[in-house]
Amino acid sequence: MTSVPTLPARRRTMRWRDRDALYGYLFSAPAVLGSLAFVIAPLIAVVWYSLHEWNVLANTFTFIGGENYTRMLTDAALHDSLWASLWFSLGVLVLNMTLALALAVLLNQHLPGTTLFRVLFFSPVVVSLVAWTIVWGFLLQADNGVNAFLAALGVTGPNWLRGSVTAMIAVVVVQVFKNVGLNMVLFLAALQGVPEDIGEAARLDGAGAWRRFTSITLPMISPTMLLVGILTLVGSLETFALIDVLTDGGPGTSTTVLVFYLYRQAFEFNQFGYASAIAVLLFVIVLALTLLQWQTRKKWVFHES
Amino acid sequence: MVHRRSVSALASLVLAGTLAACGSGTSDTSEDATPDGPVDLRMTVWTADEGHLGLFQEIADAYVADHPDEVSSVTFETIPFEDYTTTLTTQLAGGNTPDLAWVFESNAPEFVSSGALAEIGGTLEATDGYEYEDLLGSALDLWSNDDGLYAYPFSNSPFVMFVNTDRIAEAGQTQPSELHAGGEWTYDSARDISAATVEDLGGAGLVVRDFDYTAWSNLASVWGAWGAQPWSADGTTCEFDSPEMVDALSWFHDAVYTQGAIPGPGTAADFFSGDTTMTITQISRASALDGSFEWDIVPLPTGPAGQPGVIGQAGIGVLANGENPGAAANFLAHFTNPENASQLSQYFPPPRTSLLTTESLAEGNPAFDERQLEIVVEAIDGAATKPSHVNYAQVDTATRSALDALWTETGDAAAVATEVCAAIDPLLQD
Amino acid sequence: MSPDQLTKPPTAQPSPGARRPVGRHSPRPRRGKRPPRAEHLGRAALVFLMVLLAVPFVFPTWWMASSSLKTTSEILRIPPTVWAESPTLAPYRDVFTLQPFAQQYMNSLYIAVAVTIGTIAVAALAGYAFARIRFPGANALFVIVLIGMLVPSEVTIVPLFRMVNTLGLIDTHWPLIVIPVLGAPSVLATFIMRQFFITFPGELEEAGRMDGLTRFGIFARIAFPLARSAVAAVAIFTFLKSWNLYLEPIVYLSSKENFTLPQALTQYVDAYGGPIWNVQLAATTLTVIPVLIVFVIAQRQFIQGLANTGLKG
Repeated sequence: MTSVPTLPARRRTMRWRDRDALYGYLFSAPAVLGSLAFVIAPLIAVVWYSLHEWNVLANTFTFIGGENYTRMLTDAALHDSLWASLWFSLGVLVLNMTLALALAVLLNQHLPGTTLFRVLFFSPVVVSLVAWTIVWGFLLQADNGVNAFLAALGVTGPNWLRGSVTAMIAVVVVQVFKNVGLNMVLFLAALQGVPEDIGEAARLDGAGAWRRFTSITLPMISPTMLLVGILTLVGSLETFALIDVLTDGGPGTSTTVLVFYLYRQAFEFNQFGYASAIAVLLFVIVLALTLLQWQTRKKWVFHES
Repeated sequence: MVHRRSVSALASLVLAGTLAACGSGTSDTSEDATPDGPVDLRMTVWTADEGHLGLFQEIADAYVADHPDEVSSVTFETIPFEDYTTTLTTQLAGGNTPDLAWVFESNAPEFVSSGALAEIGGTLEATDGYEYEDLLGSALDLWSNDDGLYAYPFSNSPFVMFVNTDRIAEAGQTQPSELHAGGEWTYDSARDISAATVEDLGGAGLVVRDFDYTAWSNLASVWGAWGAQPWSADGTTCEFDSPEMVDALSWFHDAVYTQGAIPGPGTAADFFSGDTTMTITQISRASALDGSFEWDIVPLPTGPAGQPGVIGQAGIGVLANGENPGAAANFLAHFTNPENASQLSQYFPPPRTSLLTTESLAEGNPAFDERQLEIVVEAIDGAATKPSHVNYAQVDTATRSALDALWTETGDAAAVATEVCAAIDPLLQD
Repeated sequence: MSPDQLTKPPTAQPSPGARRPVGRHSPRPRRGKRPPRAEHLGRAALVFLMVLLAVPFVFPTWWMASSSLKTTSEILRIPPTVWAESPTLAPYRDVFTLQPFAQQYMNSLYIAVAVTIGTIAVAALAGYAFARIRFPGANALFVIVLIGMLVPSEVTIVPLFRMVNTLGLIDTHWPLIVIPVLGAPSVLATFIMRQFFITFPGELEEAGRMDGLTRFGIFARIAFPLARSAVAAVAIFTFLKSWNLYLEPIVYLSSKENFTLPQALTQYVDAYGGPIWNVQLAATTLTVIPVLIVFVIAQRQFIQGLANTGLKG
């Protein structure tokens, strides 16, 4: 787009550039204005609500400054939910990425039946969440489903949804099985974009399969891993319906993640002001984590050029 | 040009959005009770049943025909049961307040005390032919305060025991109806029969339906027989640590973990699938019976303190911030007058003494015979409602969390009860 | 990150027709010195592993479909039955008699199609601008748009509801079409399109410019037609998201004729709010199967589409 030789041509280019900027604004206008109207403005409104005590039932809306935020410091239930969110998101991120990559690698081996398996692994993505959680509710009972299967192997399974640790494991696994297909497809697409000749060259140089995977394939697909990682993390921090149906935040407060706590404050306790403050906190956390992942990308994301 | 126009349209959207978003929560203005022309009324409900909605609309259309100057239409808006409170609250927060709304009993004190509902007792009493004194006093308690009545409890569904008589006969146990006739229908006998059937036939014994070791308020049907209650009548003192409650909880715990009469947590046993011996639930659930096994109903078993009975209620209230509270209250008076209450009673046991008869209930409950309907009618009279509190949502969550410690093999009722009180006392006094 | 970063050699861009062979008929290069027998065993083990892994993915879907043919008591039976004992299609008839299900199906379909088309238009234009056009403030504007990717819908539902209510659009499909197209849900699409256009060969644009095309002409005649694969990916993402939208329809819509499918599914309940399981599951199956079939047919295109977007880096 540079070096244009003759003078008249350059002048034309200058005019073209000016007009080009106008096109830039016009092209991006729907997205930018839409974002202002339907993302930024509501966010500002939520910040505004968070400075108020707002009880919808009593119809009170009183300015209380930063009180909702200082309340957060001493709200033990909020702190519990932050820990729950941490474990849940970490679990989903690690398990989802690992499983998605493993499935993608398996499906990239040109094995018989690959097309069929690709559909099977993807199918939960389109199954309704309601049906999905109902079935898993059945499967995770104390002495049936998964545990009946374990018993056949001679293992006594735990009462999944009734122990704090096992309930967390259960919601992580059910969430991952539901959505891993999408990430799997993204990884599969990335793997198919890795040129085969590089791996072949390394193989001839005597590099083993694992070595070829870690030092060639992984770096080549690291940009996909970054994006998939961000999307999965944001998605995990927004998980609500699954927990609502499977554990209702319990036992105790062990699976009450932040969004669930926010929902509870707003729609069960009718404390819209405090819930808005939690919403602001949630937004800040998501933003910070995303920026962190983005900032550290230079360390591990490989660029072809 | 097209671009410019769409940009300005978007800009006005942004503006509208900001205005709407920054408007305060009190932007609703209550119109006075006598608007100029006829108004449109909207009632939010959680039933999606064609029969219910058809009857509602029929009653409403007749009212609109009779009062064309006051009301031009009545709409019944179904919100899914699971999302009812969320959606209703969003409507209130968004300034799209319905004129009338169904209210869950657990929300009743909060709705009554917050000022969200308008007083309707005056309108009902003043309406010709309403026969206000026919309303059952005990049914209105939950929906009233010192200033009057804030919602009409249109549904009063008693808890009873459904029994799978096939299973009991197969295990060679005595039928509960015989025990009841002999005055020996107690929680201990229910437990023993259940334990015996489980031993013989597998499956599950006694299930407190919808409890699932989370919705603890459903245990009210059990602890009532011990004379226990979760907190004092004025709602300020925790009574989980009372000896009665600790005894009731211990009995339940042992029935689960020692006698195996009640399926433990994490087991989805469902009476209507046929492999459960008996279940405590509301009569309305009879619609789920599909004839694959023989069944019966009996009253709740008695305990050390007899059996006061428990009903589950639902109310209809007029939203104080709706646009036409006056017209809405007048419509409610029509909707629940003796004639229409009689029609509604085929689906919902009404709070009217004169209608609590086996004949009026028979039509809407074809699954029951005369004797069984008598049990239903008797169960409503004098029954208590499930626990409720001004601060119910928070108390409920805290109680459930603390009670979770009881639902293990080694759970100790006395120790857990103390923990529950420690958790909810500050919330009760809020 | 500047738009020039991540630029790849244009030759790396395969044409949509040139796809890598997939599946069992593809010629596989012989590798290694291992005897074929051991390799066959290893491959058989991998297939077996996939069969095992598939169980938790397939069983819930299977349960859903087979339960729609069962009676309620059989659905609730423990352990679950794999085949319906006496299958009946009655639940499928009830799906249509209890609600205007066909109408609701149409609602979901046309909303999802409208959202998909709208999102492609908005995202392709914005993605192209952010990737290919230099204009002051471009990065700042891109960041503003990106914020939408970070906002859970529960956070902004109340202010959005107030906005929709103020505009008098409650119980219409407008909020379900306009907000996803312009608001947070379309941001991922914009991002994907931008990543695609970054890898777009500049020579083609230059050629278009020499031919006297305007920016819009270059976009409409050269860039967009070549973005088919990225558009395919965006279309599938967007359609699925709209098809499965749950919270928003429940909050915005109130009359049955306007309901969308996920919301309609919650309405198959008995008189007291208890789900009519077999009818509900029959309706759910009806909503899932077409999407699965489309995926089966389009999956190769879909994966190629993704492989060709900037998503792979």
